[in-house]
Amino acid sequence: MDTQLLHVTLVTPERTILDSTAISVELPSRTGRIEVLYGHAPLLAELGAGDVIVQGSDPARWNVSWGFVEVLPDRVTILANDAVAPGAIDVAAARLEVERAHTMWSAAGDEAEAYEAANRLLEEAQSRLASAGE
Amino acid sequence: MANVLDLRRRIRSVKSTRQITRAMKMVSAAKLRRAQERAISARPYALRIASVLASLKRRVEILDPVTGNLRHPLFAVRPEKRILLVIVSGDKGFAGAFNTNILKASAQFLSLCEGREVDIEPIGRKARDQMRRRYPQATHEEVQTENPADGSSLVRHVRHRKSGIEVVGEHPGLLEKLTHGAVREIAEEIIRRYTHEEIDACYIVYNEFKSVIQQRVVTERLLPLIEPGSHVIVDAVEPTAEEREFAATVAAAAGISPFAEDTHESDEEAARFGTADVDYIYEQPAAELLNGLLPSYVSAMLFHAMAESVAAEHAARMTAMEAATNNASDMIDSLTLYMNRVRQAAITKEIIEIVSGAAAL
Repeated sequence: MDTQLLHVTLVTPERTILDSTAISVELPSRTGRIEVLYGHAPLLAELGAGDVIVQGSDPARWNVSWGFVEVLPDRVTILANDAVAPGAIDVAAARLEVERAHTMWSAAGDEAEAYEAANRLLEEAQSRLASAGE
Repeated sequence: MANVLDLRRRIRSVKSTRQITRAMKMVSAAKLRRAQERAISARPYALRIASVLASLKRRVEILDPVTGNLRHPLFAVRPEKRILLVIVSGDKGFAGAFNTNILKASAQFLSLCEGREVDIEPIGRKARDQMRRRYPQATHEEVQTENPADGSSLVRHVRHRKSGIEVVGEHPGLLEKLTHGAVREIAEEIIRRYTHEEIDACYIVYNEFKSVIQQRVVTERLLPLIEPGSHVIVDAVEPTAEEREFAATVAAAAGISPFAEDTHESDEEAARFGTADVDYIYEQPAAELLNGLLPSYVSAMLFHAMAESVAAEHAARMTAMEAATNNASDMIDSLTLYMNRVRQAAITKEIIEIVSGAAAL
């Protein structure tokens, strides 16, 4: 049933990472995970940090952080700020990021922006660690 | 008259210079190919971000209907009193007029900014060095203030402006290994300064590079964002037809297509991103979506400018080195000719001496 396949594109600022078809795509939206199947209602969402999981004849998993996703009934386009294959994640660096985020958090003082930045960093680093299976 | 030995020595020296310029040309051609690829692979993202932003801007009113405030501070247009100028030059010389052209365009822009406060953000060593020689560095002072809430001390950085035009920041090695993360940091800093109303506008001077024959030095406005997706070009300097022709022949010899790669189809697909004629469900409120989109847009624009500038630098170096190699070859030819003449003259002289000596006997 070829007509039931989704067209998936994953694009980062530096290059196009993925351009294939899938049965379903799982995405980390800012407000929670969503799974997209063929025929999904048109949706525009902000991406959080986490894994994009593509199921189908050519399954793939990428750890992405921040960006946007456009869902149309027959296609999913993911614009991610950064995408890493789970095998290529630098666990030690991610651990350091978690530590750095904690220090940023405690040094933030009264500034809402600084808290926001610390939160983002923490979320990103933790999603990387989770994705690497640590 | 120079003797044959001297001339031979000079020829040898010019030959080794030619070897160096030829090697530099080859290296630049290889680097250009890579830089061009990178600039092209960065296009889909930049185009998609621009189109989704433009579409979102059409669908959502810029002004909040309830409060009447702007949805996002980056859309705010203020009188341009304080300007940030980003100059993207090369790190190294030996690239013909590449750096000179960039600096000339910046000087042109700065001369129009009389009476306004300008901060210069140089990217690339050449721009940094020259701007630092010409204008003072921005200075910051740490000031201890007391937090009125709990009496703890806070450290704030206060800027002391001494002159109308000052240089801020530096980014050594950014262009050498261009990563999106580093560019994003710069973009975020620019956005932070804009939203805190430290600057009223942001312009960028860089060398646009579509292909070897399609390039120009442009001055472009980055902020405020009035029409996302379109380039607001303030000033553009194009190369002469002669320069273009020479660049095209050099590129052809190095196996690089002088024409822009055909990205029409993928560009069109990218331009459709987020613009389908349907009612999207917006997972987040429009203001939040804009909050996330705008920094990505600005950094994509910056990244695009830098990636093109790097490609243009390599192209300029390749052409300059080809010209240098040709000049060296010409010089070797004329020196060889001269040397042979000198040698012949010496032989003739000797023969005359012998003959006249024999005749005198």
